[in-house]
Parts: sequence; structure tokens; C-alpha cells
Amino acid sequence: MLIIKNLHARVADKEILKGIDLEVRAGEIHAIMGPNGSGKSTLAGVLAGNEKYTVTEGEVTFEGRDLLAVPVEERARMGLFLGFQYPVEIAGVSMANFMKLAVAERRRYLGEEPLTASEFLRLMREKGAIVELDSKLTSRAVNEGFSGGEKKKNEIFQMAMLDPKLAILDETDSGLDIDALRIVATGVTKLHTAENATVVITHYQRLLDYIVPDYVHVLYNGRIIHSGDKSLALKLEKEGYDWLINDYKE
Amino acid sequence: MSISELVCGDGFRRFEGGRITVSDDTSRPFAVVDPSKLELTVESGVKCRLVILHTQPNEMTARIGLEPDAELSVADIYLASTFAEVDVRQKERSVCRFTTVEMQSANVVYGMSLDGVGASCTSDGVFIGSGDDHCVFELTVRHNVSDCTSSSLVKGVVGGRATGEFRGLVYVAPDAQRTDAQQQSRNIESGNDAHIITKPQLEIYADDVRCSHGATVGQIDDDAVFYMRQRGLSEAEARRLQIEGFVGDITMHCPVESLKEPLTDILKTKLEKL
Amino acid sequence: MKQKDTDIIGDIENREYKYGFTSDIETETIPRGLDENVIRLISRKKGEPDWMLEMRLKAYRHWLTMEMPTWAHLDIPPIDFQDIIYFASPKKPSGITSADDIDPELKRTFDKLGIPLEEQLALSGGVAVDAVMDSVSVKTTFKEVLAEKGIIFCSMSEALRDYPELVRKYLGSVVSYADNFYSALNAAVFSDGSFCYIPKGVRCPMELSTYFRINAAGTGQFERTLIVADEGSYVSYLEGCTAPRRDENQLHAAVVEIVVLRDAEVKYSTVQNWYPGDKDGRGGIYNFVTKRGICYENARLSWTQVETGSAITWKYPSCVLLGDNSAGEFYSVAMTNNFQQADTGTKMIHIGRNTRSRIVSKGISAGRSQNSYRGLVKVAKGADNARNYSQCDSLLIGDKCGAHTFPTIDSRNSSAVLEHEATTSKISEEQLFYCNQRGLSTEDAVGLIVNGYAKEVLNKLPMEFAVEAQKLLSISLEGSVG
Repeated sequence: MLIIKNLHARVADKEILKGIDLEVRAGEIHAIMGPNGSGKSTLAGVLAGNEKYTVTEGEVTFEGRDLLAVPVEERARMGLFLGFQYPVEIAGVSMANFMKLAVAERRRYLGEEPLTASEFLRLMREKGAIVELDSKLTSRAVNEGFSGGEKKKNEIFQMAMLDPKLAILDETDSGLDIDALRIVATGVTKLHTAENATVVITHYQRLLDYIVPDYVHVLYNGRIIHSGDKSLALKLEKEGYDWLINDYKE
Repeated sequence: MSISELVCGDGFRRFEGGRITVSDDTSRPFAVVDPSKLELTVESGVKCRLVILHTQPNEMTARIGLEPDAELSVADIYLASTFAEVDVRQKERSVCRFTTVEMQSANVVYGMSLDGVGASCTSDGVFIGSGDDHCVFELTVRHNVSDCTSSSLVKGVVGGRATGEFRGLVYVAPDAQRTDAQQQSRNIESGNDAHIITKPQLEIYADDVRCSHGATVGQIDDDAVFYMRQRGLSEAEARRLQIEGFVGDITMHCPVESLKEPLTDILKTKLEKL
Repeated sequence: MKQKDTDIIGDIENREYKYGFTSDIETETIPRGLDENVIRLISRKKGEPDWMLEMRLKAYRHWLTMEMPTWAHLDIPPIDFQDIIYFASPKKPSGITSADDIDPELKRTFDKLGIPLEEQLALSGGVAVDAVMDSVSVKTTFKEVLAEKGIIFCSMSEALRDYPELVRKYLGSVVSYADNFYSALNAAVFSDGSFCYIPKGVRCPMELSTYFRINAAGTGQFERTLIVADEGSYVSYLEGCTAPRRDENQLHAAVVEIVVLRDAEVKYSTVQNWYPGDKDGRGGIYNFVTKRGICYENARLSWTQVETGSAITWKYPSCVLLGDNSAGEFYSVAMTNNFQQADTGTKMIHIGRNTRSRIVSKGISAGRSQNSYRGLVKVAKGADNARNYSQCDSLLIGDKCGAHTFPTIDSRNSSAVLEHEATTSKISEEQLFYCNQRGLSTEDAVGLIVNGYAKEVLNKLPMEFAVEAQKLLSISLEGSVG
């Protein structure tokens, strides 16, 4: 589904990604871990197409297409979803209106008929229930005045609405209390199927108690320096990163 | 139903302009269409709402007086180019709220005088100019006595070859202590022949005050555009949606509930053509 | 508390202006009044080339058609332009022949002002000074050191004599004589000022400074400063000014022009401490100044001003951002007390692409003074991606003064992002109480708070100047409470 080969990227003049190789197949869950500043969010941003980052080398294919040649919105319509670490507030734009447009674009890409108003409302209710999203929030402006937990729930709600092939969740667990973490993580698990894939980027292993990954990768200094199964996350939590990264320090 | 039809319906109390005194609370808003002269007095302690609708090119002078403890909410809607002068005088503890919508060329001049201790006024507005429109929104708030509060938020969007002008002034008289005054002018230019001029001004002669103003031009939030594109919206759509949200914020606070939807629709149509 | 406030305000109102002394220097002046003959006389006294006289006469004829501007928030009494002496020069006592020798009394005057005219007395790494007394430059220090790098730093009179082509190329190119009433007057009658040229790629090794002093009674001062920073060069320039206490008002109408060529950077700092008049509003300098710089590609111009003096200030140091990627800055502290009036601010004219500007203005009003910020941010049609941020704060001390903010934003480019914010407030009683509770006197607390308030601007000044400016603010305002 997603194949990343030797990906290099920079922001301004600083090289952040220094050769990433990764393959994600349908039905898989990957976790990417690593200390602060190792390039995790940059990787997510590059895959989503944030113009802040410049790819200098390497290639990425998604569903057989050269992903790097595709504009942001097209990647989204293809089914690539990024759960933002800091979801953006958009004054005056209601969640409902926003989702209506986004769902319509995704369906059009898939060649599906647009939803009727009542079908759409039903979908909103149904998907909102997955993350126990307060139905009042959907009539408010996008993320405006949402608490940290609500914003993250709202990201997973949108993921449910758009039914992506590949979801990349950037630090979806940060800033959540234990209840919200459980709800968000359970939501992600519920949405996981044999046809789609999930990449979770996280600092902490606690999220992986709920979302059980098939693979765990350690990103450090712009490279994946180690990969393993879920036991790696537990070992990292117990022993930290030092045993891994000593050989890679600059 | 169009706004004109709406305000002629049962939900409103139509009158033809001229002089009117409101002495009882009323749940139905007053409505007046294309007045050239308007003198409205809201008696002490009375609460009321008023819709002024401008549907054809006109000139209007309006004098509005609020007696002590009176409360007035006004929706002042310009669907046609009009020269308007609106003069509001407020006595003790009276509360006045204005929501102004300029959908095209209009020259609207507001003078709000806070003459009684504890009075407060809010004046929010939006103007949208396209083609060769020239929208002027002038707002002077005079704090003539102490302990009054005022705030205003005026948003402008211009496209085509249109010009949008905001001229604001907060005046605080000597001894008008404990004044709390805010004035904000926010603007977006769409297209490279549009022109925005904004002059928010403060003139302050008392020291125990909290006064601020701000003005911005531009400020389409790139992060928000990226966020929306990540959810599959095109860049143009994301920008349009943002502008819609930007001005929708004002109409959403329209004091007359039944006008919110038709106003939002008119705004949308206008923005699509920008 | 109230009683104490009054005492303290009374206290600052009675404070002496430290630089109010008069020097007993024999001065050569010309008769009062202005006509073409006076202009010819000034030009002749200075031995100027013909083209300069022609420029002056053209400016004078234009000035005659103009009227004093009245748009500022200032109450300016009528000025009789025929009652001003347009040229005054300290006479050289007999016996002094060399150009480098100066009248000991004159030297004492500048010593008293803290401006050493002897190079060996200057601080190590020092500051090169051009000292201007009334209408003429009396001494420029460190000329030889600067000349080694090809830097020209001299009085305008010398520049007209020694580098006429350079002066002719740039003089009036940024501020035309027709720009405004006072720039026209200045162009007609300017007597001296400083000229500075930094060659390509040279970083000026020391601060350059002009010190202006009005001494003679009844005179006006009309100096003209021209700074040209050639491609890739850098200079930091300082300007200071004082005048004696006199009951009459004296006019100071200066023009400063700065040309910042490609990749060059100029920092221009002013500590303006002209005599502000007494506590009843008698006397003081009318400071009507036009300052403007033009920035070419990648150039940068930064204005920093601390304005504490003058009875009336009318001044808008501006940046024309002509070249792509050029940047302009304006940092200002304007403090008014007693009956002082200030209407000051800046204009940022964005013409090139990717031009940036930043405005930070801190007004402080006390006594019965009126203090206005006036600004214009203009974005021309082709100025893609222009950025401006303006922050204008006002602090009121006492309930008899006024603080005003008059900004204008004018944008014709949809990619511009412009932001203006302004606040007005008084010194908070909580802050004062907090300081009092920690044992600070109210006077010290106010000084502290005001300096903290102005810090963002003071930090932009070169070190020696920052200390002086800080003292100036504390002295003038210490103890005033709102």
C-alpha cells in the first residue's frame, strides 16, 4: 500500500529525514517511536504533503502512485489521512459543513453518489458514537474552543467519516487523560480492517496497550535505526532509547 | 423566502420610518424598509429589537435614543448602495447592539455617544465589496462619561476592483474614567486589484482606561488551509470556506434569529461571485 | 495615596532641564528674516557651488506657495518666519588658525554635554562625533581612522566642497524639497549637518554620531543629514540634541535622508532631548523633522528613537522599501510631560516584493501633555508577500494628559499580511503596590516600570546610548503616578 524508499527531506536549510525506508501493507498497524526531534512529525508531514518540507531524495508510492507528485488534497481523497498533533482551529466554519464537503470529495474520488442530507446526518451520528463525541461539537466551528481531548477525538471522528486506506496518527495520544486515551485508542482499533492500514506515531508505549502494532520502528536522527514487534515498545519503555542510539549519535 | 418578504411577514412589526417611541417590551422585532428618516426612542427600561433593511439606493439619517436602562438590538442590512448616517445616544446603563451587513457599495457612518454612566454598546459589522464597489464603514464611539463599555468588530472582504474602507475612532473624554473600549478591524483582500484602507484610531483624555484597537489585512491562515486540504478540500475551496467562516462569525451573532439563515445565504452567494 | 501623587507630579514638573545652560560664545549671526538675499548670503558664506544655490532658491520659491500642515494632533502657535535668524555660527577667537583647533569655550560646552571632541578622551572602540553648534559643524572626530576604510564622515559644508558629485547625486533624492512645508524650508536655508558615505562592502568599525546643540538666541536650526550606505555596507549612526533654556520658542526643522543600497544595512538611533519648555509651557524647541530612508534590494533600515525633549515634536522617520526583500524597522519611545506635544510615528511604504516592516511604538504621557502615534503602512500593488507588524502602546500618567493613536493601513495586494495592535493603559496600582511592598519608593518604582515598558525599544539602542536614554526616562518621569 505504502512504500517509502530512501526518503530525505529538509525544512528550511536543515535536513531532518536522512534516508527512510518503510513498507506498510493492508491490514497492518505500524508504530513509529523515537525521542523528540528525531523526525517523526516531519515524516508524517512529508507523507501528507505539507509544503513546509522539501523532499530532496527518495521516493514514496501509495496505492501504486507516485505520492510525492500528488497535491495534498488529492492524497487525502486517495485515502491518506493525517491525524494532526495540533488540530487547527478554523473560526466560523462549522464541523458539519466542513465534513460535508470533505466526505463529498472523498466519495466523488471513489466514484460514489453524493450522500443525501439525511444519510449524511446519520453517518455523522454513527461515526460520532465511535469516539463518544458530544453531538453538540459538530455544530460548533472546527476545533474552536475544543478541549485537548475533544480535538483528538474529533480527529478520529473525521477519520471514521472519511474511511481512509491509510491513517497516519501523529502523537494522537499527547495531552490525553487516561479515559480519553482509551476512547481514542479504542476508536482507532474499531476502524482497523484487513483492507486498511494505520501508522501511529507516539512517544509512549501506553497507547500501544490499546492499539497493538504488528511492527514497531525506532526513528532516530532522521533514520529508522531499529525495527521489531510490539515487545520492542515494552523494552523501550523499560530501558529507554540509550541502548539503541549510542551508535548513531552525531 | 427573501429577507424583504421575511420582514414584511407576521414575525415583525412593520413601520414606515419617521418618529417612533417604544414604551413597552415587545418580542416581535420592529422592521423598517428603505427609510430616509428615522427617529427612534426607546423608553426607560424597555427592551426591543429593530431591523433596518435597505433594498434600493437611498439616503438615510437615523437618530436613535436610549433612555436609562433601555436595551436595543439592531440589524442594519444594506442590500443596495445607501448613504447612511446613524446617530445613537445612550443614557445611563442602556445597552445597544448593532449588527451591520454591507453587501455592496454603501457609505455608512455611525456615531455612538455614551452619555450616561454605565452605558454599553457593541457594534459589529461586515462589508463585502466586489466589482467596482466602494464600501465605507465609519464608526465613532464617544465615551463622554465614566464607566462605559464599548466593543466593535468589523470585518471586510473585497474582491474584484473594489475598495473597502474602515474608519474607526474611540474617543474618551477627560474624566471618562474606567472606560473599557475595544475596536477591531479585520480584512481580507481577494484578488490583486482589491484595495483595503483601515484606520482604527484612539483619542484618549482620561488615564484610568482600558482601550485597545487592532487592525489586520490578509491573514488567511495557511495552517487551516493545509488542514482542510488534508481532509480532501481543494485549496480554492479551503480559502473560500475560511472567508465564509470569517464573515459568518458576524452574521451568526445577528440579534434577530430568523435573519441568520437568509443573511448567511446572501453572504455565501456574494462570496462565490467574488 | 492621592495626596502623594500630587506631590510627586509637582516634583517632576519642577525638575530642572539639565542641559539648559547657555555658553558664552561669540556668535556671528545674520539679520532676522528670510528672502532670496538671505539664501544667497547663506550659500555664499558656505562657499557653495552654483547648483546648490539654485536648488535652495527653487525650494524657497516652492515653499512660498505652501502652508504649514495642520493635520497633526498639535496645537501650534503661529510662527513668524521673518522673526527667525537663519544663520548663526560660533566665531573663532583670533589666534586660532588651524581647522583642527577649536575655541576652548566651545570645547568646554561639549565637555559639559558629555561629548568629548578630543579623540584621546573618547572611550576605547569609541564613537566618531560630528558636533554641530547652531548653524555649523564645529568638529568631526576620528576622520583619519575612518578614511583608512574609505568612509567619508564630515560636515555637510565640507562634503559640498570636497565631494560635490556624491552629494549632488543623492541630496534631495529621498526627501524632495517639495515633500512638505518644512522640508522645503530646510532645503532653502539648511546650514550644516553631517554627511556620511560607507563604501561597498565596508562595515563601519565604530558608531558614527552627530551631536546637535542650539546655543544662540533667536536662531532656528536647519540641519541636513545625508547617509549613503553603498552595496553590502553597514553603519550604525547616532544622533543627540540639546538646547539652552529660553522663554522663547526656537524652531528646529531638520531633514535626514538615508540611501541604503543593495544588501546594505543602516541603523539610525536618536536620543532627542531638546529643551522642552518649562512647567507652564513657556519656551522650548519646535521640532519639525522629516526623516526618510530608501531601501534597495535586500537592504535594511532600522530607526530607533527616544523622544523626551521639545515643546512640539512633528516627526515620522520612514522607510521606502523599494527593493525586493528589503526590510524596515521603527522603534520609538516618545515621552511627553507638562505642556509638551508630540505627534510622531512612521511610514512604511512597501513597493518591492517580500518586503517586511516592523513598528514598535511606546508613548508615555504625563502632566498636561498630548502624545500621538501616527503611522502609515502602505502596500503597493506589486509588493507581493509584504509583511508588517505594528505594536503601539500608550501609557498615561495622570488624568490631565492625552494619548492618541492614528494608524492607517492601505493595502493593494492580496498576499499582504498586515497586523496592527494598540493598547492604552496606566501604570497599575498593583504593580506600584507590589514594588512598594518590596521596599521600593514610588519614584523608583515608576522609573522601573516605565523603563520596563520601554525596554523593547531601549534594547535596540547601542549600549552607551541605551544607558543615557534609560537615565533620561527615569529623571523625567521618576515618581509620576497615575
